[in-house]
Amino acid sequence: MVGFGHMPESGNPAPIRKAILGLNGGPTDELVVHLGCQLAKPSSGELVAVHVIEVDWRHELSEEMTDENLAASSVLDLAEGIAERYHVKLSGDLLQAREVAAALVDEAIELGADAIIVGLPYRKRFGGDFAIGSTIPYILQNAPCQVIVAREPVPSSGERRESREPRPVSGGLGLR
Amino acid sequence: MSMKPWLHGRKPGDRRVRVERPHAEFFRYTGPGTFVAREAASRPRTSTGRAIERIRHALFGRPLSIHEEITERLSKKKALAIFSSDPISSSAYATEEILRVLVLVGAGALLVSLPIAMAVALLLIVVSLSYRQIVRAYPSGGGDYAVARRNLPRIGSLVVAAALLLDYVMTVAVSTASAAEQVISAVPDLASFQVAIGVVAITLITLGNMRGLRESGNIFAVPTYLFVGSALVMIVIGVFRIVVNGEHAAPPSPLPGAPAVPEMLGALLLIRAFASGSVALTGIEAVANGVPAFKPPEPKNAARTLAAVAIILAVLFIGITFVAYSFGVVPIDDPVRRTVISQVAGIAFGDNSIGFYLFQTFTALILFLAANTSYNAFPRLAAILARDGYMPRQFSFQGDRLAFNSGILVLSIVALALLIAFGGDTHALIPLYSVGVFVAFTIGQSGMIVHWLRERPAGWQRGLAINLLGCTMTGVVAVVVLIAKAPTSLLVAIVVPIVVGVMLFIHRQYQASAGHLAVREDVVIPPPRREERVIVPVAGINRAVIQAINVGRSIAPDIRALLISDSPDEALAIRERWERQLPDVPLVIVESPYRALVGPMLAYLDVIDQTWPQGKEQPVTFVIIPEYVARNWWERLLYNQSANRLRRVLIGRPHTVVVNVPYRRDEDEDAPRPASP
Repeated sequence: MVGFGHMPESGNPAPIRKAILGLNGGPTDELVVHLGCQLAKPSSGELVAVHVIEVDWRHELSEEMTDENLAASSVLDLAEGIAERYHVKLSGDLLQAREVAAALVDEAIELGADAIIVGLPYRKRFGGDFAIGSTIPYILQNAPCQVIVAREPVPSSGERRESREPRPVSGGLGLR
Repeated sequence: MSMKPWLHGRKPGDRRVRVERPHAEFFRYTGPGTFVAREAASRPRTSTGRAIERIRHALFGRPLSIHEEITERLSKKKALAIFSSDPISSSAYATEEILRVLVLVGAGALLVSLPIAMAVALLLIVVSLSYRQIVRAYPSGGGDYAVARRNLPRIGSLVVAAALLLDYVMTVAVSTASAAEQVISAVPDLASFQVAIGVVAITLITLGNMRGLRESGNIFAVPTYLFVGSALVMIVIGVFRIVVNGEHAAPPSPLPGAPAVPEMLGALLLIRAFASGSVALTGIEAVANGVPAFKPPEPKNAARTLAAVAIILAVLFIGITFVAYSFGVVPIDDPVRRTVISQVAGIAFGDNSIGFYLFQTFTALILFLAANTSYNAFPRLAAILARDGYMPRQFSFQGDRLAFNSGILVLSIVALALLIAFGGDTHALIPLYSVGVFVAFTIGQSGMIVHWLRERPAGWQRGLAINLLGCTMTGVVAVVVLIAKAPTSLLVAIVVPIVVGVMLFIHRQYQASAGHLAVREDVVIPPPRREERVIVPVAGINRAVIQAINVGRSIAPDIRALLISDSPDEALAIRERWERQLPDVPLVIVESPYRALVGPMLAYLDVIDQTWPQGKEQPVTFVIIPEYVARNWWERLLYNQSANRLRRVLIGRPHTVVVNVPYRRDEDEDAPRPASP
């Protein structure tokens, strides 16, 4: 399921020349990358996969978060691998910021992106729902471009019973 | 990972920092412990290397990833064009080969050219029916080699492989030679450039293939259909003029300077003419080699395509022969060579007409394409043989552009050598061509006979009968061609066994080395228990030596420096300094009054080996050679000559490991200076 924000007046999403993919190592990452590739391919568009590491106020913004950075870097690499299969150009961008949403919007502005694609995971705990949180609303309100929210498929009732955490994507690059 | 400067957002306080990912330029993470090297990781690091790379890219294009390999499945129409260029192009010279034999006898002999062409066409039908069996039985492709490897003793498959390799080389040489003759037939002023045209063509095809040229593009389909279409038009015009207009052939005259032969056709000449015409069959095996390239259902589509190729070839061959005979066309060599097919085109379209020039262009193009098909087949067969251990392994390596460069280069070099050696004369080259092809046909068919007898699937009797007939006929033709085309054809009888012998030799070598290197899969490898000792050859004390000593210390505590000196006074001075500065590393001085370096060094190593306690396993001796890293080509001449000599003699010495410890000049600033006076 895909939701569009900031649609052009024609009602159809404009062709994507450059899109920001918001990744976080969660279960919707693959969905977001596949969707981005499918949307960018017809117009030979370019994708920038952005992983923002949220740095809380106890740390300096520029403090080296080595473990988080390595894990995030592997997420970006995996996204590149998917894009390669589509023959779509994708570059990875790893950021540290206080607010993920603001960083994504600012990055989209700086890169002149015409779409931001983010994922909305399905929460399996507590009966299951879509907790939209604060990131997506911020992006919807502040992004100067299209916003596409890719919803994680709702699991079947059998699957829903198997409560499980979102699978973390790898613990690092093995470069240390 | 390092950070770039802060970036400011739209709102105050919305700041972010871009994190640099140093690995990202060179590697992409694909899973735990697994990376994929990017193109940047393969880039040369020296300026010379980069310059060479730029030239290579200009010539051959940027490197291709393995994911960019074209795996297009071919429709029947496209496959027909791609696989038929080799067999159909042989119609450009097959008629001429028959006429060249018959014309020696006299004008009357040309009468039998048509029956001979029909006999060759009959053989073509039998061979294509036989190959349809291979296509159905072996849908994974590989043709005669695959069949022979599966069903016959090893030697059989190697003979097929050698014959096919020769066939592919000859396809290049013959097709380019014939293409050059077609060009000259249209533009006689280029006669003196006949060999040069062939050489340029082979060079361009080689470059194209090293760039990763593939046969799947439309560019390869168009010339084939243009040739087939225009040749059919040519035949129709010719037949129309003969049948409807009743035009009579001018009485053919013998070749100028031809020896006087009695006006009777001996059986031998008939056989020779048939053997010459059988060159029309060359390339018919191409479809069987490439079954996996077809769209599903692959065997059915390949079999249909093969039938279509055989029908088109038979029609063109008989048609061209009929028109040539009817108009009394004979090959002309003086003053300038004019091929039979160009004369037929001249009759049909009018000499020097646009139609004539277009037809000659299409003929030359399809011949060049036929040469190009070998650039797909030869390197692939060589790669399969290399993987089977019968050819050097480098034949199985794909270059930057996913092409099997070694195979392409060898093919080009041998084809060029043949083209030049035979003066670009198609007629002279053809005897070498036919024998190899028919040997491969025969062995492939015999493999199929074994296949039917062994597997016995439903309807095996029919398949067996077809392959038996095919095997018998092609076997007879192989012998006939070998005898009729002697002595040139006998070269093949020498070359094929030599190639097979070389393959067997290579296989034995690889098997022997694999046996030496093999490790049992069920064994857990324990850590080494052998003792280790380190010897550092030195010429004095300098930073390179100290770096080597430090590396040696990290390997084993049993370390000693070895000084081979021809000056006792100098050696003593070095010892005095050594003991003062490196007191924990013993220095052994070997005086060398005969000024030799390597000999005393080896002798010393032998002696310490011999003094090792009997019954105790010999230790591993690490010889650590300090090396000064040259920064320019001329520095390489100035430094490390002794080190290089030492390394050369030590490599391969039992129980000895040679370690180079390079010392870079720019380490001067970084490295802590050793205690120096």
